[in-house]
Amino acid sequence: MLAGEPVPARRTRKGVHVPYFSSEQEVYDHIGRLFTELMADDELRPQFQRANTIVQYRYRNPESQITVSMLEGAQGQVDLGPTGLDPEVVMTMDADTAHRFWLGKVNVTVALARGQMKAKGPVAKILKLVPLVKPVFPRYRAQLEQAGRGDLAEVS
Amino acid sequence: MAGARAGAPFKDFYQWVSPTRVIAGRGLIESAGFEFAKEGARRVLVVTDEVIRETGLVDRVQDGLRDGDLEVAGVFDAVPPDSDSAVVQACAAAAAEHGADAILAVGGGSVMDTAKAANVVFTHGGQVRDWEGYFGLPRADDGLGRPDELAPLACVPTTSGTGSEVSFAAVIKDREQHIKYQLADWPMFPRLAILDPAATATLPPRLAAATGMDAMTHAIEGYVSTERTPHGDAQALQALRLLRDNLLRAVQSPGDEDARGNMLVAACLAIGPTCTGAIGIAHSLSHPCGGRFDVPHGVANAINLPVVIEFNAAGGTEIADRYRDLCELLALETGGSDEQVGATLAEHVRGTVRELGLPGRLSEVGVTEAALPQLAEDAMGDGCTLVNPREPTEDDFEQLYRRAL
Repeated sequence: MLAGEPVPARRTRKGVHVPYFSSEQEVYDHIGRLFTELMADDELRPQFQRANTIVQYRYRNPESQITVSMLEGAQGQVDLGPTGLDPEVVMTMDADTAHRFWLGKVNVTVALARGQMKAKGPVAKILKLVPLVKPVFPRYRAQLEQAGRGDLAEVS
Repeated sequence: MAGARAGAPFKDFYQWVSPTRVIAGRGLIESAGFEFAKEGARRVLVVTDEVIRETGLVDRVQDGLRDGDLEVAGVFDAVPPDSDSAVVQACAAAAAEHGADAILAVGGGSVMDTAKAANVVFTHGGQVRDWEGYFGLPRADDGLGRPDELAPLACVPTTSGTGSEVSFAAVIKDREQHIKYQLADWPMFPRLAILDPAATATLPPRLAAATGMDAMTHAIEGYVSTERTPHGDAQALQALRLLRDNLLRAVQSPGDEDARGNMLVAACLAIGPTCTGAIGIAHSLSHPCGGRFDVPHGVANAINLPVVIEFNAAGGTEIADRYRDLCELLALETGGSDEQVGATLAEHVRGTVRELGLPGRLSEVGVTEAALPQLAEDAMGDGCTLVNPREPTEDDFEQLYRRAL
Protein backbone atom coordinates (compact mmCIF):
# COMPACT_ATOMS: atom_id res chain seq x y z
CA MET A 1 0.00 0.00 0.00
CA LEU A 2 1.18 3.45 -0.80
CA ALA A 3 0.50 6.66 0.96
CA GLY A 4 -2.06 9.29 0.12
CA GLU A 5 -1.31 11.77 -2.55
CA PRO A 6 -1.47 15.43 -1.58
CA VAL A 7 -0.12 16.70 -4.90
CA PRO A 8 -2.37 15.45 -7.65
CA ALA A 9 -1.07 17.38 -10.62
CA ARG A 10 1.91 19.07 -12.15
CA ARG A 11 2.45 22.76 -11.69
CA THR A 12 3.34 25.44 -14.15
CA ARG A 13 5.79 28.18 -13.34
CA LYS A 14 2.86 30.27 -12.13
CA GLY A 15 1.89 27.59 -9.64
CA VAL A 16 -1.35 26.67 -11.41
CA HIS A 17 -2.34 23.01 -11.35
CA VAL A 18 -2.28 21.50 -14.79
CA PRO A 19 -3.74 18.07 -15.43
CA TYR A 20 -1.41 15.43 -16.80
CA PHE A 21 -3.62 14.94 -19.84
CA SER A 22 -4.49 17.95 -21.91
CA SER A 23 -7.43 16.44 -23.77
CA GLU A 24 -9.99 13.66 -23.71
CA GLN A 25 -8.10 12.03 -26.56
CA GLU A 26 -4.91 11.90 -24.50
CA VAL A 27 -6.77 10.00 -21.80
CA TYR A 28 -7.87 7.48 -24.39
CA ASP A 29 -4.41 7.34 -25.97
CA HIS A 30 -2.84 6.26 -22.70
CA ILE A 31 -5.30 4.92 -20.11
CA GLY A 32 -7.73 3.80 -22.81
CA ARG A 33 -4.98 2.02 -24.67
CA LEU A 34 -3.90 0.26 -21.49
CA PHE A 35 -7.42 -1.05 -20.87
CA THR A 36 -7.73 -2.12 -24.49
CA GLU A 37 -4.48 -4.04 -24.37
CA LEU A 38 -5.26 -5.63 -21.02
CA MET A 39 -8.57 -6.92 -22.28
CA ALA A 40 -6.87 -8.24 -25.42
CA ASP A 41 -4.30 -10.12 -23.34
CA ASP A 42 -5.21 -13.80 -23.32
CA GLU A 43 -3.58 -14.31 -19.92
CA LEU A 44 -4.92 -11.27 -18.11
CA ARG A 45 -8.40 -11.03 -19.62
CA PRO A 46 -9.75 -14.20 -17.89
CA GLN A 47 -8.50 -12.89 -14.56
CA PHE A 48 -10.29 -9.59 -15.01
CA GLN A 49 -13.41 -11.36 -16.22
CA ARG A 50 -13.71 -13.09 -12.87
CA ALA A 51 -15.15 -9.76 -11.74
CA ASN A 52 -18.06 -10.58 -14.09
CA THR A 53 -19.19 -7.00 -14.35
CA ILE A 54 -19.21 -3.89 -16.51
CA VAL A 55 -17.28 -0.98 -15.04
CA GLN A 56 -17.45 2.60 -16.19
CA TYR A 57 -14.64 4.97 -15.30
CA ARG A 58 -15.81 8.57 -15.41
CA TYR A 59 -12.93 11.01 -15.42
CA ARG A 60 -12.77 14.73 -14.81
CA ASN A 61 -10.09 17.13 -16.00
CA PRO A 62 -10.36 16.35 -18.82
CA GLU A 63 -13.89 15.00 -19.06
CA SER A 64 -13.68 11.50 -20.46
CA GLN A 65 -15.20 8.09 -19.98
CA ILE A 66 -13.98 4.53 -20.40
CA THR A 67 -16.34 1.58 -20.10
CA VAL A 68 -14.95 -1.90 -19.72
CA SER A 69 -16.97 -5.09 -20.07
CA MET A 70 -15.41 -7.84 -17.97
CA LEU A 71 -18.28 -10.30 -18.21
CA GLU A 72 -17.38 -13.94 -17.77
CA GLY A 73 -17.58 -16.02 -20.91
CA ALA A 74 -17.85 -12.99 -23.19
CA GLN A 75 -15.35 -11.16 -25.33
CA GLY A 76 -13.84 -8.27 -23.47
CA GLN A 77 -14.98 -4.88 -24.64
CA VAL A 78 -13.53 -1.44 -24.01
CA ASP A 79 -15.47 1.63 -25.13
CA LEU A 80 -13.68 4.96 -25.14
CA GLY A 81 -16.24 7.73 -24.86
CA PRO A 82 -19.93 7.05 -25.56
CA THR A 83 -21.03 3.48 -25.01
CA GLY A 84 -24.00 1.20 -25.39
CA LEU A 85 -22.87 -0.86 -22.41
CA ASP A 86 -24.88 -0.64 -19.20
CA PRO A 87 -22.35 -0.31 -16.37
CA GLU A 88 -22.94 -2.06 -13.06
CA VAL A 89 -20.10 -0.27 -11.25
CA VAL A 90 -19.25 3.39 -11.77
CA MET A 91 -15.93 4.80 -10.60
CA THR A 92 -15.57 8.57 -10.72
CA MET A 93 -12.25 10.38 -10.31
CA ASP A 94 -9.91 12.93 -11.84
CA ALA A 95 -8.02 11.58 -14.82
CA ASP A 96 -4.89 12.48 -12.84
CA THR A 97 -5.92 10.06 -10.09
CA ALA A 98 -6.45 7.31 -12.65
CA HIS A 99 -3.09 8.04 -14.23
CA ARG A 100 -1.33 7.95 -10.86
CA PHE A 101 -3.18 4.74 -9.93
CA TRP A 102 -1.79 2.97 -12.99
CA LEU A 103 1.67 4.14 -12.02
CA GLY A 104 1.22 2.50 -8.61
CA LYS A 105 1.02 5.80 -6.75
CA VAL A 106 -2.51 5.65 -5.36
CA ASN A 107 -3.74 3.86 -2.28
CA VAL A 108 -7.28 2.96 -3.26
CA THR A 109 -8.50 2.86 0.33
CA VAL A 110 -7.19 6.33 1.03
CA ALA A 111 -8.42 7.68 -2.30
CA LEU A 112 -11.92 6.40 -1.53
CA ALA A 113 -11.83 7.85 1.97
CA ARG A 114 -10.64 11.22 0.72
CA GLY A 115 -13.25 11.32 -2.00
CA GLN A 116 -10.63 11.31 -4.73
CA MET A 117 -12.32 8.18 -6.03
CA LYS A 118 -16.07 7.68 -5.86
CA ALA A 119 -17.38 4.17 -6.18
CA LYS A 120 -20.97 3.33 -6.92
CA GLY A 121 -22.44 -0.14 -7.23
CA PRO A 122 -21.11 -3.54 -6.12
CA VAL A 123 -17.62 -2.27 -5.53
CA ALA A 124 -16.37 -5.59 -4.17
CA LYS A 125 -16.42 -6.93 -7.70
CA ILE A 126 -13.62 -4.62 -8.72
CA LEU A 127 -11.81 -4.36 -5.39
CA LYS A 128 -10.83 -7.98 -5.91
CA LEU A 129 -8.99 -6.84 -9.03
CA VAL A 130 -6.75 -4.39 -7.19
CA PRO A 131 -4.12 -6.99 -6.24
CA LEU A 132 -4.21 -8.34 -9.78
CA VAL A 133 -3.35 -5.04 -11.40
CA LYS A 134 -0.13 -4.44 -9.52
CA PRO A 135 1.95 -6.23 -12.18
CA VAL A 136 0.37 -3.90 -14.73
CA PHE A 137 1.97 -0.80 -13.22
CA PRO A 138 5.36 -1.27 -14.94
CA ARG A 139 3.55 -2.08 -18.15
CA TYR A 140 1.78 1.29 -18.08
CA ARG A 141 5.03 3.07 -17.39
CA ALA A 142 6.68 1.26 -20.30
CA GLN A 143 3.75 2.08 -22.53
CA LEU A 144 4.11 5.78 -21.77
CA GLU A 145 7.82 5.67 -22.52
CA GLN A 146 7.26 3.81 -25.79
CA ALA A 147 4.77 6.49 -26.77
CA GLY A 148 7.41 9.13 -26.16
CA ARG A 149 5.61 10.39 -23.07
CA GLY A 150 8.02 9.32 -20.38
CA ASP A 151 7.45 12.77 -18.88
CA LEU A 152 4.00 11.60 -17.77
CA ALA A 153 5.56 8.84 -15.70
CA GLU A 154 7.32 11.38 -13.51
CA VAL A 155 4.77 11.74 -10.75
CA SER A 156 5.17 12.14 -7.02
CA MET B 1 5.47 -1.99 25.65
CA ALA B 2 7.25 -3.94 22.98
CA GLY B 3 8.89 -1.97 20.25
CA ALA B 4 6.25 -2.10 17.57
CA ARG B 5 5.21 1.50 17.91
CA ALA B 6 8.40 3.00 19.25
CA GLY B 7 9.86 3.59 15.81
CA ALA B 8 6.63 4.05 13.94
CA PRO B 9 6.96 6.58 11.14
CA PHE B 10 4.66 9.57 10.81
CA LYS B 11 2.11 8.58 8.21
CA ASP B 12 1.90 10.48 4.96
CA PHE B 13 -1.83 10.72 5.40
CA TYR B 14 -4.64 9.68 7.66
CA GLN B 15 -7.89 11.14 8.82
CA TRP B 16 -9.92 10.55 11.93
CA VAL B 17 -13.64 11.08 11.92
CA SER B 18 -15.84 10.46 14.94
CA PRO B 19 -18.82 12.80 14.81
CA THR B 20 -21.31 10.72 16.78
CA ARG B 21 -22.17 12.15 20.18
CA VAL B 22 -21.85 9.24 22.59
CA ILE B 23 -23.58 9.29 25.95
CA ALA B 24 -22.94 6.43 28.33
CA GLY B 25 -24.39 5.76 31.72
CA ARG B 26 -27.31 4.44 33.70
CA GLY B 27 -30.90 5.53 33.22
CA LEU B 28 -30.27 7.14 29.85
CA ILE B 29 -33.10 5.34 28.07
CA GLU B 30 -35.51 7.42 30.11
CA SER B 31 -33.94 10.60 28.77
CA ALA B 32 -33.80 9.47 25.12
CA GLY B 33 -36.11 12.30 24.04
CA PHE B 34 -34.24 14.97 25.97
CA GLU B 35 -30.99 13.91 24.31
CA PHE B 36 -32.34 13.25 20.81
CA ALA B 37 -34.08 16.64 20.69
CA LYS B 38 -30.61 18.21 20.81
CA GLU B 39 -29.89 16.52 17.49
CA GLY B 40 -32.89 18.05 15.75
CA ALA B 41 -35.39 15.21 16.17
CA ARG B 42 -39.06 16.07 16.57
CA ARG B 43 -41.12 13.18 15.26
CA VAL B 44 -39.37 9.86 15.58
CA LEU B 45 -39.76 6.49 13.87
CA VAL B 46 -38.49 3.78 16.22
CA VAL B 47 -36.82 0.90 14.37
CA THR B 48 -36.39 -2.40 16.18
CA ASP B 49 -37.17 -6.12 15.95
CA GLU B 50 -39.96 -8.19 17.41
CA VAL B 51 -37.77 -9.95 19.97
CA ILE B 52 -36.52 -6.71 21.47
CA ARG B 53 -39.99 -5.23 21.40
CA GLU B 54 -41.28 -8.16 23.45
CA THR B 55 -38.75 -7.42 26.19
CA GLY B 56 -40.47 -4.12 26.96
CA LEU B 57 -37.37 -2.09 26.15
CA VAL B 58 -39.01 -0.37 23.20
CA ASP B 59 -41.89 0.78 25.41
CA ARG B 60 -39.35 2.35 27.76
CA VAL B 61 -37.63 4.08 24.87
CA GLN B 62 -40.94 5.42 23.59
CA ASP B 63 -41.75 6.72 27.07
CA GLY B 64 -38.33 8.33 27.15
CA LEU B 65 -38.93 10.01 23.82
CA ARG B 66 -42.30 11.38 24.88
CA ASP B 67 -40.87 12.51 28.19
CA GLY B 68 -38.52 14.70 26.18
CA ASP B 69 -41.47 16.18 24.29
CA LEU B 70 -40.76 14.25 21.11
CA GLU B 71 -43.51 12.56 19.16
CA VAL B 72 -43.32 8.85 18.38
CA ALA B 73 -44.39 8.71 14.74
CA GLY B 74 -44.48 4.92 14.74
CA VAL B 75 -42.61 1.72 15.44
CA PHE B 76 -41.13 -0.43 12.69
CA ASP B 77 -40.36 -3.80 14.28
CA ALA B 78 -39.98 -6.03 11.21
CA VAL B 79 -36.18 -6.20 11.12
CA PRO B 80 -34.88 -9.80 10.85
CA PRO B 81 -31.49 -10.98 12.19
CA ASP B 82 -29.84 -10.44 8.79
CA SER B 83 -31.61 -7.48 7.31
CA ASP B 84 -32.08 -7.25 3.57
CA SER B 85 -32.90 -4.74 0.86
CA ALA B 86 -36.65 -5.29 1.06
CA VAL B 87 -36.67 -4.62 4.80
CA VAL B 88 -34.70 -1.42 4.30
CA GLN B 89 -37.18 -0.23 1.68
CA ALA B 90 -40.11 -1.06 3.96
CA CYS B 91 -38.46 0.78 6.84
CA ALA B 92 -37.86 3.87 4.71
CA ALA B 93 -41.45 3.73 3.48
CA ALA B 94 -42.66 3.49 7.09
CA ALA B 95 -40.71 6.62 7.99
CA ALA B 96 -42.35 8.49 5.12
CA GLU B 97 -45.84 7.14 5.75
CA HIS B 98 -45.71 8.05 9.43
CA GLY B 99 -44.42 11.53 8.70
CA ALA B 100 -41.24 11.01 10.72
CA ASP B 101 -38.41 13.51 10.67
CA ALA B 102 -35.94 11.37 12.61
CA ILE B 103 -35.12 7.71 13.22
CA LEU B 104 -34.12 5.97 16.43
CA ALA B 105 -32.80 2.41 16.24
CA VAL B 106 -33.15 0.09 19.22
CA GLY B 107 -31.35 -3.15 18.54
CA GLY B 108 -28.22 -4.91 17.40
CA GLY B 109 -26.24 -4.58 14.20
CA SER B 110 -29.02 -5.63 11.88
CA VAL B 111 -31.48 -3.13 13.34
CA MET B 112 -28.98 -0.28 13.38
CA ASP B 113 -27.74 -0.97 9.85
CA THR B 114 -31.32 -1.18 8.61
CA ALA B 115 -32.04 2.20 10.19
CA LYS B 116 -28.90 3.74 8.69
CA ALA B 117 -29.61 2.44 5.19
CA ALA B 118 -33.30 3.30 5.47
CA ASN B 119 -32.33 6.82 6.46
CA VAL B 120 -30.44 7.16 3.17
CA VAL B 121 -33.47 6.01 1.16
CA PHE B 122 -35.84 8.07 3.32
CA THR B 123 -33.78 11.20 2.72
CA HIS B 124 -32.58 10.74 -0.85
CA GLY B 125 -35.14 8.30 -2.33
CA GLY B 126 -34.54 5.46 -4.77
CA GLN B 127 -33.66 1.87 -3.98
CA VAL B 128 -31.11 1.03 -1.33
CA ARG B 129 -28.78 -0.65 -3.82
CA ASP B 130 -28.73 2.61 -5.78
CA TRP B 131 -26.60 3.85 -2.89
CA GLU B 132 -24.28 0.88 -2.62
CA GLY B 133 -20.65 1.87 -2.50
CA TYR B 134 -18.39 4.21 -0.65
CA PHE B 135 -18.78 7.97 -0.30
CA GLY B 136 -21.46 8.11 -2.97
CA LEU B 137 -24.13 10.19 -1.23
CA PRO B 138 -25.10 13.52 -2.79
CA ARG B 139 -22.71 16.41 -2.17
CA ALA B 140 -22.56 20.07 -2.86
CA ASP B 141 -20.28 21.52 -5.51
CA ASP B 142 -20.84 18.84 -8.12
CA GLY B 143 -20.03 16.03 -5.74
CA LEU B 144 -16.84 17.53 -4.34
CA GLY B 145 -18.23 19.58 -1.45
CA ARG B 146 -19.91 18.88 1.84
CA PRO B 147 -22.25 15.88 1.76
CA ASP B 148 -25.94 16.60 2.20
CA GLU B 149 -27.22 15.78 5.66
CA LEU B 150 -29.48 12.85 6.42
CA ALA B 151 -32.36 12.91 8.88
CA PRO B 152 -31.26 12.76 12.53
CA LEU B 153 -30.49 9.19 13.58
CA ALA B 154 -29.92 7.89 17.10
CA CYS B 155 -28.98 4.37 18.17
CA VAL B 156 -29.57 2.44 21.36
CA PRO B 157 -27.43 -0.69 20.91
CA THR B 158 -28.79 -3.83 22.54
CA THR B 159 -25.66 -5.86 21.83
CA SER B 160 -22.02 -5.06 22.50
CA GLY B 161 -20.14 -5.88 19.35
CA THR B 162 -21.00 -4.33 16.03
CA GLY B 163 -20.17 -0.74 16.90
CA SER B 164 -22.65 0.32 14.23
CA GLU B 165 -23.94 2.98 16.61
CA VAL B 166 -20.77 5.00 15.93
CA SER B 167 -19.81 3.86 12.44
CA PHE B 168 -20.55 5.28 9.00
CA ALA B 169 -21.37 2.05 7.19
CA ALA B 170 -24.32 -0.27 6.85
CA VAL B 171 -24.13 -3.89 5.76
CA ILE B 172 -27.24 -5.25 4.08
CA LYS B 173 -27.97 -8.68 2.66
CA ASP B 174 -29.04 -9.39 -0.90
CA ARG B 175 -30.97 -12.63 -0.51
CA GLU B 176 -31.06 -13.38 -4.23
CA GLN B 177 -27.34 -13.02 -4.79
CA HIS B 178 -26.37 -14.45 -1.37
CA ILE B 179 -24.08 -11.57 -0.65
CA LYS B 180 -23.82 -8.75 1.82
CA TYR B 181 -23.19 -5.32 0.41
CA GLN B 182 -22.16 -2.05 2.00
CA LEU B 183 -23.05 1.55 1.75
CA ALA B 184 -20.88 3.99 3.60
CA ASP B 185 -20.48 7.74 3.76
CA TRP B 186 -19.85 10.36 6.42
CA PRO B 187 -23.50 11.45 6.85
CA MET B 188 -24.36 7.89 7.85
CA PHE B 189 -22.67 8.32 11.20
CA PRO B 190 -25.53 8.37 13.73
CA ARG B 191 -25.81 11.70 15.45
CA LEU B 192 -26.33 10.12 18.86
CA ALA B 193 -25.41 6.81 20.50
CA ILE B 194 -26.98 5.99 23.86
CA LEU B 195 -24.99 3.38 25.80
CA ASP B 196 -27.15 2.21 28.68
CA PRO B 197 -26.56 -1.24 30.20
CA ALA B 198 -30.30 -1.56 30.70
CA ALA B 199 -30.49 -2.08 26.94
CA THR B 200 -28.43 -5.27 27.16
CA ALA B 201 -30.10 -6.66 30.29
CA THR B 202 -31.99 -9.34 28.37
CA LEU B 203 -29.19 -10.18 25.94
CA PRO B 204 -28.84 -14.00 25.79
CA PRO B 205 -25.35 -15.13 26.89
CA ARG B 206 -24.60 -16.81 23.58
CA LEU B 207 -25.40 -13.63 21.70
CA ALA B 208 -23.39 -11.61 24.19
CA ALA B 209 -20.47 -13.94 23.53
CA ALA B 210 -20.70 -13.80 19.75
CA THR B 211 -21.09 -10.04 19.57
CA GLY B 212 -18.31 -9.58 22.09
CA MET B 213 -16.00 -11.57 19.82
CA ASP B 214 -16.99 -9.27 16.99
CA ALA B 215 -15.75 -6.35 19.08
CA MET B 216 -12.54 -8.21 19.91
CA THR B 217 -11.98 -8.84 16.21
CA HIS B 218 -12.46 -5.14 15.44
CA ALA B 219 -9.90 -4.20 18.08
CA ILE B 220 -7.26 -6.75 17.06
CA GLU B 221 -7.68 -6.27 13.32
CA GLY B 222 -7.80 -2.51 13.72
CA TYR B 223 -4.51 -2.53 15.59
CA VAL B 224 -2.56 -4.38 12.89
CA SER B 225 -4.23 -3.11 9.71
CA THR B 226 -2.23 -1.18 7.14
CA GLU B 227 -4.65 1.68 7.71
CA ARG B 228 -4.09 1.78 11.44
CA THR B 229 -3.65 5.21 12.97
CA PRO B 230 -2.47 6.58 16.31
CA HIS B 231 -6.05 7.62 17.05
CA GLY B 232 -7.27 4.16 16.20
CA ASP B 233 -4.49 2.49 18.20
CA ALA B 234 -5.62 4.32 21.31
CA GLN B 235 -9.18 3.14 20.86
CA ALA B 236 -8.22 -0.43 19.94
CA LEU B 237 -5.98 -0.85 22.97
CA GLN B 238 -8.50 0.57 25.42
CA ALA B 239 -11.22 -1.55 23.84
CA LEU B 240 -9.07 -4.63 24.30
CA ARG B 241 -8.45 -3.78 27.96
CA LEU B 242 -12.18 -3.48 28.52
CA LEU B 243 -12.82 -6.72 26.64
CA ARG B 244 -10.11 -8.46 28.65
CA ASP B 245 -11.76 -7.43 31.90
CA ASN B 246 -15.44 -7.62 31.02
CA LEU B 247 -16.29 -10.02 28.20
CA LEU B 248 -16.35 -13.24 30.20
CA ARG B 249 -17.98 -11.48 33.17
CA ALA B 250 -20.77 -10.10 31.01
CA VAL B 251 -21.43 -13.49 29.42
CA GLN B 252 -21.16 -15.62 32.53
CA SER B 253 -22.90 -13.16 34.86
CA PRO B 254 -25.55 -11.42 32.76
CA GLY B 255 -26.75 -9.52 35.82
CA ASP B 256 -23.41 -7.75 36.13
CA GLU B 257 -24.41 -4.27 35.01
CA ASP B 258 -20.89 -2.89 35.27
CA ALA B 259 -19.57 -5.56 32.93
CA ARG B 260 -22.40 -5.00 30.48
CA GLY B 261 -21.88 -1.25 30.53
CA ASN B 262 -18.16 -1.62 29.98
CA MET B 263 -18.82 -3.99 27.11
CA LEU B 264 -20.99 -1.37 25.42
CA VAL B 265 -18.11 1.08 25.69
CA ALA B 266 -15.62 -1.54 24.48
CA ALA B 267 -17.65 -2.24 21.36
CA CYS B 268 -18.05 1.46 20.72
CA LEU B 269 -14.27 2.00 20.97
CA ALA B 270 -13.30 -1.12 19.04
CA ILE B 271 -15.07 -0.03 15.87
CA GLY B 272 -13.18 3.27 15.84
CA PRO B 273 -10.18 2.14 13.79
CA THR B 274 -12.41 0.62 11.14
CA CYS B 275 -13.84 4.05 10.36
CA THR B 276 -10.49 4.85 8.81
CA GLY B 277 -10.52 1.55 6.96
CA ALA B 278 -8.39 -0.24 9.54
CA ILE B 279 -9.70 -3.79 9.47
CA GLY B 280 -8.51 -7.05 8.01
CA ILE B 281 -9.14 -10.43 6.51
CA ALA B 282 -10.84 -12.09 9.44
CA HIS B 283 -13.73 -9.94 8.25
CA SER B 284 -13.04 -10.85 4.63
CA LEU B 285 -13.35 -14.52 5.62
CA SER B 286 -16.44 -13.95 7.76
CA HIS B 287 -18.57 -11.88 5.40
CA PRO B 288 -19.01 -14.71 2.86
CA CYS B 289 -19.78 -17.16 5.70
CA GLY B 290 -22.68 -14.91 6.61
CA GLY B 291 -23.71 -14.28 3.04
CA ARG B 292 -23.76 -17.89 1.92
CA PHE B 293 -24.27 -19.89 5.12
CA ASP B 294 -26.01 -17.46 7.48
CA VAL B 295 -23.23 -17.82 10.04
CA PRO B 296 -23.69 -15.05 12.62
CA HIS B 297 -21.01 -12.44 12.06
CA GLY B 298 -19.56 -12.59 15.55
CA VAL B 299 -19.38 -16.38 15.48
CA ALA B 300 -17.63 -16.34 12.11
CA ASN B 301 -15.13 -13.78 13.37
CA ALA B 302 -14.49 -15.81 16.53
CA ILE B 303 -13.61 -18.81 14.40
CA ASN B 304 -11.62 -17.00 11.72
CA LEU B 305 -9.63 -14.56 13.83
CA PRO B 306 -7.08 -17.07 15.22
CA VAL B 307 -6.04 -18.45 11.83
CA VAL B 308 -5.70 -14.91 10.51
CA ILE B 309 -3.47 -13.91 13.43
CA GLU B 310 -1.21 -16.88 12.70
CA PHE B 311 -1.15 -16.05 8.98
CA ASN B 312 -0.37 -12.38 9.53
CA ALA B 313 2.27 -12.93 12.23
CA ALA B 314 4.22 -15.08 9.82
CA GLY B 315 4.22 -12.16 7.38
CA GLY B 316 6.99 -10.21 9.05
CA THR B 317 8.40 -8.84 12.27
CA GLU B 318 6.62 -5.49 11.95
CA ILE B 319 3.27 -7.26 12.01
CA ALA B 320 4.30 -9.72 14.69
CA ASP B 321 5.47 -6.87 16.91
CA ARG B 322 2.01 -5.34 16.76
CA TYR B 323 0.66 -8.63 18.02
CA ARG B 324 3.40 -8.60 20.68
CA ASP B 325 1.88 -5.35 21.98
CA LEU B 326 -1.47 -7.04 22.29
CA CYS B 327 0.05 -10.06 24.02
CA GLU B 328 1.60 -7.74 26.59
CA LEU B 329 -1.72 -6.05 27.21
CA LEU B 330 -3.31 -9.46 27.69
CA ALA B 331 -0.49 -10.60 30.03
CA LEU B 332 0.61 -13.30 27.59
CA GLU B 333 4.11 -14.43 26.69
CA THR B 334 5.62 -11.78 24.39
CA GLY B 335 8.91 -13.46 23.49
CA GLY B 336 9.76 -15.93 20.76
CA SER B 337 9.73 -15.81 17.00
CA ASP B 338 7.18 -14.01 14.88
CA GLU B 339 5.30 -17.25 14.38
CA GLN B 340 5.41 -18.01 18.10
CA VAL B 341 3.88 -14.70 19.10
CA GLY B 342 1.15 -15.24 16.53
CA ALA B 343 0.50 -18.71 17.88
CA THR B 344 0.38 -17.39 21.45
CA LEU B 345 -2.21 -14.75 20.66
CA ALA B 346 -4.22 -17.08 18.40
CA GLU B 347 -4.34 -19.73 21.11
CA HIS B 348 -5.48 -17.14 23.63
CA VAL B 349 -8.33 -16.17 21.30
CA ARG B 350 -9.24 -19.83 20.80
CA GLY B 351 -9.27 -20.31 24.55
CA THR B 352 -11.56 -17.31 24.99
CA VAL B 353 -13.89 -18.70 22.35
CA ARG B 354 -13.99 -22.02 24.21
CA GLU B 355 -14.68 -20.34 27.53
CA LEU B 356 -17.49 -18.38 25.92
CA GLY B 357 -19.02 -21.62 24.66
CA LEU B 358 -18.91 -20.61 21.01
CA PRO B 359 -18.19 -22.96 18.11
CA GLY B 360 -14.53 -23.24 17.19
CA ARG B 361 -14.78 -24.52 13.64
CA LEU B 362 -16.63 -23.46 10.51
CA SER B 363 -17.82 -27.03 9.94
CA GLU B 364 -19.76 -26.75 13.22
CA VAL B 365 -21.78 -23.87 11.83
CA GLY B 366 -22.70 -25.37 8.48
CA VAL B 367 -19.87 -24.31 6.19
CA THR B 368 -19.01 -27.10 3.75
CA GLU B 369 -15.67 -28.02 2.23
CA ALA B 370 -17.17 -27.92 -1.26
CA ALA B 371 -17.96 -24.24 -0.83
CA LEU B 372 -14.44 -23.16 0.08
CA PRO B 373 -13.31 -22.12 -3.43
CA GLN B 374 -16.37 -19.89 -3.81
CA LEU B 375 -15.89 -18.47 -0.32
CA ALA B 376 -12.24 -17.78 -1.10
CA GLU B 377 -13.21 -15.91 -4.27
CA ASP B 378 -15.74 -13.88 -2.30
CA ALA B 379 -13.16 -13.10 0.39
CA MET B 380 -10.66 -11.93 -2.22
CA GLY B 381 -13.16 -9.32 -3.36
CA ASP B 382 -13.98 -8.06 0.10
CA GLY B 383 -12.93 -4.49 0.77
CA CYS B 384 -11.25 -5.52 4.04
CA THR B 385 -8.71 -7.55 2.08
CA LEU B 386 -7.00 -4.43 0.75
CA VAL B 387 -5.97 -3.23 4.19
CA ASN B 388 -4.75 -6.46 5.75
CA PRO B 389 -1.11 -6.19 6.85
CA ARG B 390 -0.15 -9.31 4.89
CA GLU B 391 -1.40 -9.51 1.34
CA PRO B 392 -3.24 -12.78 0.76
CA THR B 393 -3.84 -14.63 -2.49
CA GLU B 394 -7.00 -16.50 -3.26
CA ASP B 395 -5.12 -19.74 -2.50
CA ASP B 396 -4.20 -18.30 0.90
CA PHE B 397 -7.86 -17.65 1.58
CA GLU B 398 -8.78 -21.20 0.69
CA GLN B 399 -6.05 -22.50 2.99
CA LEU B 400 -7.24 -20.25 5.82
CA TYR B 401 -10.78 -21.52 5.37
CA ARG B 402 -9.49 -25.10 5.46
CA ARG B 403 -7.64 -24.43 8.69
CA ALA B 404 -10.77 -22.91 10.21
CA LEU B 405 -13.07 -25.63 8.86
